[in-house]
This record gives sequence, C-alpha cells and structure tokens, in this order.
Amino acid sequence: MSDSELGRKWDRCMADAVVKIGTGFGLGLVFSLTFFKRRMWPLAFGSGMGLGMAYSNCQHDFQAPYLLHGKYVKEQEQ
Amino acid sequence: PRPRVPGATRDVQGAPRAARDPARHKTGFLIKGSVAGGAVYLVYDQELLGPSDKSQAVLQRAEEVVPPAMYQLSQYVCEQTGLKMPQLPAPPKFNFHFRDTWNSGILTVMSALSVAPSKAREYSRDGWEYLKERIK
Repeated sequence: MSDSELGRKWDRCMADAVVKIGTGFGLGLVFSLTFFKRRMWPLAFGSGMGLGMAYSNCQHDFQAPYLLHGKYVKEQEQ
Repeated sequence: PRPRVPGATRDVQGAPRAARDPARHKTGFLIKGSVAGGAVYLVYDQELLGPSDKSQAVLQRAEEVVPPAMYQLSQYVCEQTGLKMPQLPAPPKFNFHFRDTWNSGILTVMSALSVAPSKAREYSRDGWEYLKERIK
C-alpha cells in the first residue's frame, strides 16, 4: 500500500468516525429527549455504537487493501 | 396526600398521569414517535451509518453547505433584530501544510530516536576526551 493510499484510508476513517459518532450521539439525544426522560445512557449508547461501527469499517478497510473505493463526483452543469 | 416527586408518572392520588388525560398523552406520544421516527428515517435515507465512502461524501457535502447557510442565517438575524455582527479579522494564512509534512515529520522523529543512543555515546566520549585534554 503506497503512502498516499494509506493517507487516503486514514482520512476516510477519520471522516467516517466523525459522522458515525455524531449520528449516534444525535439519535441518542433524540431518544433520550422523547422516550427516556432525559437520561444520559442513550447518548452514551449511541456514541459508543457509532464508534464501534466506525472502528469496524476502518478495520475492514485496512485489512482488505485490494478493494477499490469509488469517489462521488459532482456533475458539472453545462 | 403523598408529596409530589419530580418526574413521577403518578399523581398524588396514585393514578397514572396517562389515565387522567389519555387524549393528551396519546398526542404527546404520537408527536414524540414522529420526531424519533423522522430522525431514524433521516439517518437511513442519508446512509449516515453506512459505508465509509458515503460518510465521507456526507461530510464533504456538509462542509460545503453549512458555512454559507450559517452566514445567511446570521445575516437574516441581523436584519430582523437590527444588531450588527462584529467583523472578525481574517485568520492569518500559513504557508505550512500540516498534512503534507506529517509523514516526513514522523520519519524525522523516529530516525532521531533510533540514532539517539549512539549519538549520546559518541558525544559523551568526545566530551570525556575534551575534559582529559583540558586537565592535562
């Protein structure tokens, strides 16, 4: 694996971790406010789940170096 | 009557609050269910908990959309309230690219650590020779 590819994988991992932890925290916040009487455990549960999912994705990414990742390119309006 | 405890689901007579006003309780439950269901659907629709490629794309989209939206919101608030937002000075621009130099920085630090014992031995031997020369 070249250095640039390794750097891109780390970038992807960090972005994925930020999004997943944030999403888990957000969902935990919504459920804490709506159903669980503003307790703290849904936030911790959601954030932990997001962190675990991000870690699992990173692990698969680093252990399968031959899988190609696509890029999303915006369409240019002419 | 028993004292009122904050967060209790029963009133002082012991009846559940839901039994006192079932219509209001059902409406509240529907609203909460809708909000929670909407949040879950939003996460599913945007694939926020999906593969890492999609998460990276979502983050890039958010980086493009959020700052202009925040700026427009602040402009709207200033227009409506008549307040003036303080103009912050532009952040200083550095010509140092941290991400590009991180790898070479790590390599430099690690090579310095690996030669540190031999260099320390060499410098201490040179220092000892120098002291011996001075004492003679």
